[in-house]
Amino acid sequence: MNWLSSNLDQVLRLTLNHLAMAIPPIVISLLLSIPLGWVAHRNRVARQLLLTGSGILYALPSLPLFVLLPIIIATKILDPLNVVVALSLYGLALMVRTATEAFDSVSAEVRDSATALGHSMGQRFWRVDLPLAGPPLLAGLRVVSASTLSLVSVGALVGVPSLGYFFTDGYTRSFLLEIGVGIIGTVLLAVIFDVAIQLGGRLFMPWLRATDTRRARR
Amino acid sequence: MIRFDHVHKQFPDGTTAVDDFSLVVPSHEVAVLLGSSGCGKTTLMRMVNRMVDPTSGSVWIDDDNVADLDPVPLRRRIGYVMQNAGLLPHRTIADNIATVPLLEGVDKKTARQKADELLQLVGMSTSTADRYPSQLSGGQRQRVGVARALAADPNILLMDEPFGAVDPLVRRDLQSWLLEIQAHLAKTILFVTHDVDEAFLLGDQVLVLREGAEIAQQGTPDEILDHPADDFVRTFVGIDLPSRRRRR
Repeated sequence: MNWLSSNLDQVLRLTLNHLAMAIPPIVISLLLSIPLGWVAHRNRVARQLLLTGSGILYALPSLPLFVLLPIIIATKILDPLNVVVALSLYGLALMVRTATEAFDSVSAEVRDSATALGHSMGQRFWRVDLPLAGPPLLAGLRVVSASTLSLVSVGALVGVPSLGYFFTDGYTRSFLLEIGVGIIGTVLLAVIFDVAIQLGGRLFMPWLRATDTRRARR
Repeated sequence: MIRFDHVHKQFPDGTTAVDDFSLVVPSHEVAVLLGSSGCGKTTLMRMVNRMVDPTSGSVWIDDDNVADLDPVPLRRRIGYVMQNAGLLPHRTIADNIATVPLLEGVDKKTARQKADELLQLVGMSTSTADRYPSQLSGGQRQRVGVARALAADPNILLMDEPFGAVDPLVRRDLQSWLLEIQAHLAKTILFVTHDVDEAFLLGDQVLVLREGAEIAQQGTPDEILDHPADDFVRTFVGIDLPSRRRRR
């Protein structure tokens, strides 16, 4: 525990690094997946392209991507931007499929009735389709959040500092406590994010709680 | 007044849903389209609010050809009630009822007042206003569906099997309740059903439809019961059933 108190500064700094590389991909993949998923939901050709594309994207191994990205987007090899871009791509690959299916899952009857009531195209999207696609979107976001937080650590292998540094450093020094701090720190962040996303969901989707049948029966 | 003028509808896959249909529904009257599923009755109804556009022919509301009207405002001034009520599951009862006023941009408070008024009109307690549709019974949801259709104070109501999904006892209740409120609301109603008893109970005029929305017979319930046009009508409305004989 001595090690921890004397290295608290570094733990904090690497945690902030970790967050700075994890938050943008999570937000970006959510924000971009909504319009892309909507297009894929409405158009058969776009659906084929986007879903196949995101499948291939997700199949790319992360480490070579971290190495190749600087060449493609002309950044320095140690630039955290590489990690952010790579993880945004992964997050997007997961979220586009989720968003497409989320929009597919909105009941045709409800959609039909919204149109019959006189929602314009835009009003229907914002007031009906998007909120009703909310629960599956949220579920997808929880997966992306957890996977992004853990994948950030892989960046440590190419020298981009994050909590993953404690694995690599601890491993070379055979220092179990340091490795433990890296693991526990990453898991802790993942749990905090997960709780925050769920709380956000409750705030934006109050009908879920009110109509939760398990709750009603109690 | 709603007027169908020689409308014809062919879907892209080549099936003819409606073949040369004409009808006038006078203002303040209830016209019932009665037919089995797939006869084109829902397609006809959806032409009124432009959910479906006819391949040829025209639909008129008073002096307006609906084809000349922007569908979004047109739909807002026509009440629409569908099977299972079609309520928005993520909106409270009050917000559901006030859907059209909210789309038109009235403030929350006015919308809420309107919703409370309408809840009372359809015979429900205002304490249900903050609940969600899944927390109500099927019969209550249908009443809310009617309240929502009335929110913009439309002259015309389109009702597509509105009581089809509730059990028979509740259905009887809702039917007599609809007759009661129609007695003083006096809307022009186009009502679609496959339930013969419902058609004869509610309709000022009833149209018995064959496939392709061909009119087998058109008339008041008494006319049809007393003088069925042919064997199709006789069989469809079940003239020879004991229950029907008792009624006459």
